[in-house]
Amino acid sequence: MILLDFGYERAATLQQAAAWLARLGDGAHVLAGGTDLLPSLRAELVSPGVLVGLSGIEPEPPRLTADGSIRIDALTRLSSLAHAGLVREKLPMLADSALAVGSNQIREMATLGGNLCQETRCLYLNQRHDYQFAAPCFKRGGDCCHPFPRNDRQTCWSVHMSDIAPALIALGAELEILGGAGMRRIGAAELYTGSGLQPLSLGRAELVRAVIVPPPPPRSGWGFHKSTVRGGLEFGMAVIAVSLQLAEDGASCCGARIAVGAVRERPLRLESAERALVGARLDDERLARVAPDAAKALNPLPHHGFTRRHLLDNVAVYLRRALAQAAERARTGRA
Amino acid sequence: MLEANESTPVTAKRSQSQLISLCVNGEWREVAVKPRLTLVEVIRDSIGLTGTKASCESGACGACTVLLEDRPILACLTLAIECDGKRVQTVEGLAEGGKLSAIQDAFLDQGAVQCGFCTPGMLMSATALLRDCPKPSREEINKALEGNLCRCTGYNAIVDAVLQASGQGVEPVMK
Repeated sequence: MILLDFGYERAATLQQAAAWLARLGDGAHVLAGGTDLLPSLRAELVSPGVLVGLSGIEPEPPRLTADGSIRIDALTRLSSLAHAGLVREKLPMLADSALAVGSNQIREMATLGGNLCQETRCLYLNQRHDYQFAAPCFKRGGDCCHPFPRNDRQTCWSVHMSDIAPALIALGAELEILGGAGMRRIGAAELYTGSGLQPLSLGRAELVRAVIVPPPPPRSGWGFHKSTVRGGLEFGMAVIAVSLQLAEDGASCCGARIAVGAVRERPLRLESAERALVGARLDDERLARVAPDAAKALNPLPHHGFTRRHLLDNVAVYLRRALAQAAERARTGRA
Repeated sequence: MLEANESTPVTAKRSQSQLISLCVNGEWREVAVKPRLTLVEVIRDSIGLTGTKASCESGACGACTVLLEDRPILACLTLAIECDGKRVQTVEGLAEGGKLSAIQDAFLDQGAVQCGFCTPGMLMSATALLRDCPKPSREEINKALEGNLCRCTGYNAIVDAVLQASGQGVEPVMK
């Protein structure tokens, strides 16, 4: 049961939604699929006066643009994204990352934009606390941090759990942001600030309108892994997305993008590991060295009962496997 | 980007009920709902169909699964006001003319019901699966039912029931 009373307005277009949000200010919140917002409303993590619903806006199907990029409407449901022929064929990593989210029902409801803009999580933040008193934490306007009692920096060490964001970052995707001042385009990683208090770089009335993914270059391959305990209906303990490109000799690496999600307040790019791979031969020995080094440089936030050590070990193993898989796909040309 | 339709007045009528129409199991109904009411609350409390269960209310258990425009969704994470003009099918709509559907029959036959609380959600997820994929493999069934938790842990019988309903070599055990 949602205890808070709010008004509801259904927008007919995204422009209208953005204009309403601008006019209504902090009292309004946008509602897309609702799978992230409704639990936040129940937990009273957000308390809007009005919800601006986007369910009346029909998303455009994913399409190929003139320059060969693939443009995906941010309101695309994750199940449509995972099963769209164009996405499956050209961007299998993106389809797999969408299929890794939540459950069948959640994928039927949740949208691509909503997944990217979801609330960060920790064991305390996203819970209702009416059954047992818990003092408000920094993010809720209080003055403590439950998972990190020695956090004295007035900040929030919660984790961004999107499964799709790391895949988009590894694919070099860009986002179209619609706001009062018009359209702007940013890299997928720039959506995130790195602060748990304010995880998104979006302005008050800005909305993600579309995701534009460049076509994967020739001789490239991908690897994706979401580490979970059960294997379904779960937030990841770490989400790893890799794309590698081979040089014309077919053995050495000429381009690498590695992103790890669910370990910090934003998805991280592993730039030192990328530098260690570019120009090198992608043999097992090299990958076995790069992956643990990259994990060591990661500094994950322990979250949801997983210790720092466990997360580092997990990333070291699955990053090596994802890199090996990406290298294999780049060599064989098989998606 | 300010357009003409931006001037449409936004009337934030807090907590005021609005009339919506829902086609529940083939029958159109008008219901007055407050914006904060979820679909599962309206189905159970306003319409009186208590087959659909509300349990975790956070998307973690799937007990509230219903079909909205033939797609399986979580009624606890859907605002009823967003469903205005849409078709909803609940577990009460599976049987036709007093005759249970094939999947309901298979659940009974395989003993795929223990405490029964997850069963309505399981049936709706399984119904959606069999519509999209009439002969699912065990793996496909597991994936389709990943969002439905059974705390009695009766999963094997449930998967067997879906296989039986799809006519794939699982023998009826009770008949």
